Amino acid sequence: MKISIRRSRRAATAVALGSVLALTATACGDDGSGSAGDKGGEGSGKGEITFWDNNGGVRTDIWKQIIADFEKKYPDIKVNYVGIPAASAQSKYDTAIQGGGLPDVGGVGTAMLAEVAVQGALEPLDSRVEKSALNGRLSKNLLDSSRAAGGGDTLYQVPTSANNGTLWYRTDLFEKAGLDAPTTWSKFYSAADKLTAKGKNAFGFTIRGGEGAIAPALDAVYGQTGITSFWNGDKTTVNDPKNVAALEKYVALYKKDTPSADVNNDFTKMVAQWDSGTIGMLSHNLGSYQDHLKALGADKFRGIPNPTQDDGTRVQVSNPVDGLSLFKSSKNKAAAWKFIEFALSAEENSKFNESAGQVPANTDAAKDAWIQQAEPTKLAAEALNGTGTKIVQLPYYLPDWNTISKADNEPNFQKLLLGKMTAKQFLDTLADQLNAAQADWKKNHG
Amino acid sequence: MITKDAGTIAPAAPAPAAEEPRPTLQKTRRAWDEVPRWQIYLPLSVYLLFTLVPFYWILLFALRPAGSTSLVPWPMTFDHFDKVWTERSFGTYFQNSVLIALATLVLTTVVALAGGYALARFDFRIKRGFMLALLCSQFVPGALLLVPLFQIFAKLQMINSLGSVIIAETVFQLPLSMILISGFIRNVPYSLEEAAWVDGCDRFKAFRIVVLPLLRPGLIAVGSFAFVHAWNHFLFALMFLSDQGKQTIPVGLNTLMSSDSVDLGALAAGGIIAAVPVVIVFAFIQKWLITGFSAGAVKG
Repeated sequence: MKISIRRSRRAATAVALGSVLALTATACGDDGSGSAGDKGGEGSGKGEITFWDNNGGVRTDIWKQIIADFEKKYPDIKVNYVGIPAASAQSKYDTAIQGGGLPDVGGVGTAMLAEVAVQGALEPLDSRVEKSALNGRLSKNLLDSSRAAGGGDTLYQVPTSANNGTLWYRTDLFEKAGLDAPTTWSKFYSAADKLTAKGKNAFGFTIRGGEGAIAPALDAVYGQTGITSFWNGDKTTVNDPKNVAALEKYVALYKKDTPSADVNNDFTKMVAQWDSGTIGMLSHNLGSYQDHLKALGADKFRGIPNPTQDDGTRVQVSNPVDGLSLFKSSKNKAAAWKFIEFALSAEENSKFNESAGQVPANTDAAKDAWIQQAEPTKLAAEALNGTGTKIVQLPYYLPDWNTISKADNEPNFQKLLLGKMTAKQFLDTLADQLNAAQADWKKNHG
Repeated sequence: MITKDAGTIAPAAPAPAAEEPRPTLQKTRRAWDEVPRWQIYLPLSVYLLFTLVPFYWILLFALRPAGSTSLVPWPMTFDHFDKVWTERSFGTYFQNSVLIALATLVLTTVVALAGGYALARFDFRIKRGFMLALLCSQFVPGALLLVPLFQIFAKLQMINSLGSVIIAETVFQLPLSMILISGFIRNVPYSLEEAAWVDGCDRFKAFRIVVLPLLRPGLIAVGSFAFVHAWNHFLFALMFLSDQGKQTIPVGLNTLMSSDSVDLGALAAGGIIAAVPVVIVFAFIQKWLITGFSAGAVKG
């Protein structure tokens, strides 16, 4: 009896184990449909395509308008819109690259382009752009930034918009204090001092000390020193002695002319603090224009490109460029490309950027009247396309860039603000990591 | 109110010199009553203030007009609620979240009840190993299993279906729920079930009539835990659902923040919409929840 019970138990265990293994094998035996390994196909140019918006929610309405226009023009193509929260877009793409379910078209900013491209998920777009009506109508600077961010000479993203570092300042406070607009770094530091009255809870500047602090700090550093290249051969210029001195001067503003809570500022807190308090200046980008407009009204503030050197030389770091990518796994690339072309047409690109408050990538769209009326966008477009502007290209192409510029060094930047690290130590650490990442990247790219 | 002298009990015999007498409950209560009221209420008030300020901040942003810097929500506006509920589809997200959370609650409770009963009442060879496996599964973060789960649901044609999120949430809730329920069942004397069997009940009927009613606090504790977790969980809904019409409240809240700007009024209104059901659930079940957890804690 005991033996038969044992046998039946063993049989049950074997069946259970077999079932588990079969289920696991079935799951692991995915054919890769919609994942990075799938080659996809051109398709008929009709039918359904899926579009992932990497800034879902805030841009949902404008994308739905563009999709409605597209479906009106191409009634045999249906676009399924999927809005993804901006903060989770990278992880959603990563999961789909590994597990399947990638879209046909997706919004992929330059900040995440290298990581998506390096996994083989994106279709090269150079030849499609060359044969398209878009050829010659897209900003050359932005196309260069997109190519550089993809990790080489291949275009994996058609740029839709450019953002730009913007110095927002309170015109009412400046007028009251009899100060000039902070167009140069000297005027900026002088205004930060004069507008600070700690007893009255008034500060000249709010510095970004929390999440996302590295890029604005580098913008301020290169803007002051005028060093125009991120690399000198295989070594980064980030810890150049001039940059060290500039960073020392910049972080010395903390607590002297800024609130002490700034050490934890991400852009949300920083913008909210500026919009609701008595702080003279804020360094962010064009994206917060609508927030300032709602909070302060049009007459109390201005947004100008970051300050120049005293002789008017403008050096700034490259900002992330938004764009659309075509996924290799798409089984309907012809229809997906039609959608990208349509979204980048002058009319639609203008509509999108007017809503997003950014600079259009389509050069015809960039001439539209709304840009002339929106001063911060107009000035940003002039700065971006101005012949005198030197842009230091940040290495978005390094797969480790996001880790280095966020998880690895944001805590160090906070230590720097709190005086637990020197500017030289901070920049040397950053430089070591960047040099190692660049060497690694070069080794893998010949 | 007990006065200082009232209720003093003279010791019947002197205690041994080496042993300190243990304080009686009565003495402890008396000592507590001697503490001035302000020493109790002041720290509690400070703590309450500290806890409530963030809630006030959310209410303030949700109820005052956009751009206002007033510290009181006046003039009051419900524009932010209207915006998130209608323009930003929070009405739909709310329905989806309710559906997912309720289904997770029911599935988790039913399966945990069956599993917990088996763990409490039966002895089988791999029981200790199974309990250990249940405990260890708590250390595996959901993010680690995203890709395999995604592939399994894709094979089952369940991507972009609320069912995938309900199953994933239930599976992740089950280990802890089973352990808790088995603890509650062990606290119910086995002799009660045996008595029911003697009276002619089969095992299931005895469980339904005798054991189940005694498990109410435990079931409420486990069910509320499952509901709240499924209500707040962001990752599975983000990864397994694509249609805007199938998204949940936590994903909706995240879409109120773009990479460059945040509508704080809408975010605060969305936060209140997300918090209200959880607050209501806890307000109703608070009594049973405490009983449930403490019952499970006595004998594990």
